[in-house]
Amino acid sequence: MQGPPSLGDVPFFRHLDDEELEELEELLEPATFEAGETIFDEGGPEERLYVITSGTVEVHKKVLPGRRQLLATMEAPTVVGEMGLLTEPRATASVEATTRVEAHGIDRDRFLEKLDDDSPAACKLVHEIGRTLADRMARTDESVADIIDRLERTGETTDFEVFQDRLIREWSF
Amino acid sequence: MDYGDAEMTGERLGQVRFFEFLTEEEREEFAEDSVIVSFEAGDEIIEEGGGAHGLFVLTSGRVEVRKRVPGGDRLLAEMDAPAVVGERGLLGESGASATVRAESRVEAIKISRETFGRMVSEGRPAAFKLSYRIARTLARRLTRLDEEVVEAIRELERRGETDLEAFRDRLVTDWAV
Repeated sequence: MQGPPSLGDVPFFRHLDDEELEELEELLEPATFEAGETIFDEGGPEERLYVITSGTVEVHKKVLPGRRQLLATMEAPTVVGEMGLLTEPRATASVEATTRVEAHGIDRDRFLEKLDDDSPAACKLVHEIGRTLADRMARTDESVADIIDRLERTGETTDFEVFQDRLIREWSF
Repeated sequence: MDYGDAEMTGERLGQVRFFEFLTEEEREEFAEDSVIVSFEAGDEIIEEGGGAHGLFVLTSGRVEVRKRVPGGDRLLAEMDAPAVVGERGLLGESGASATVRAESRVEAIKISRETFGRMVSEGRPAAFKLSYRIARTLARRLTRLDEEVVEAIRELERRGETDLEAFRDRLVTDWAV
């Protein structure tokens, strides 16, 4: 049987050299999820970063009351939990295994400790995460521009200003 | 730039809250490789739709941020020095989604993508610390923006938007967890 893909196959880890990969491998805790099992529950804790090496997960969020919106389907190799690493350890969406999923968990606190110690491996990983966030932010900015436009066109302008203010306050460029 | 200038530029970086997390030596590292630029009122510092750009630490003056919308453009924000603009463009590949224009004479310290990229490839801790700082800022903004987007979708649904489904699908894809 072929062994699980190594960390180096996961895009976030591709710029790490062997020594740096070894350093992060010390933090890895193997984890397995069966199809249908919840990895993160929306509103619940997100205290681990998971490097998914095989299987498929779905990301859902309760956008409208009583309805779960499918936000994304992600296939290995990928990473989930990176937002919890950089913000609050609370999941903003649910992540569920749709097949059997093999993963490596990295404890948030242990990783943040490495980062505080200026570990080059941890710093490089965060740099890669940051790059993807920057590009995602650019797309979110465009979504927000769409929403502002859409809100304006629906006519009711009275409470629009409040929305607009809140939306643009977080704009970044 | 000679050492004395770098020291002075480093001191100016230290006055900007965004750079407080760096040590004095690290700020000087950035200062050595950054350039001081100035803009006259009306000049564009960052152009919407232009390529990915560097980071500007505004040390004096006032800027406005504008975004093109159907039928004109919209004022998003006005910012006074000391402030930082362009952090997303330093880290990501995407170009600017808004224009930053000088409203008065503006002085700034520019950290270009080339300089930053070189520092990253040399593995310099100061560059990675800046990355971490930017990543955290972006992650927090994204989390709040995502919540606002969800709120706005609910509001649109309440107003009886008819073709909301397709719109909503487009908006909420690409979620990061």
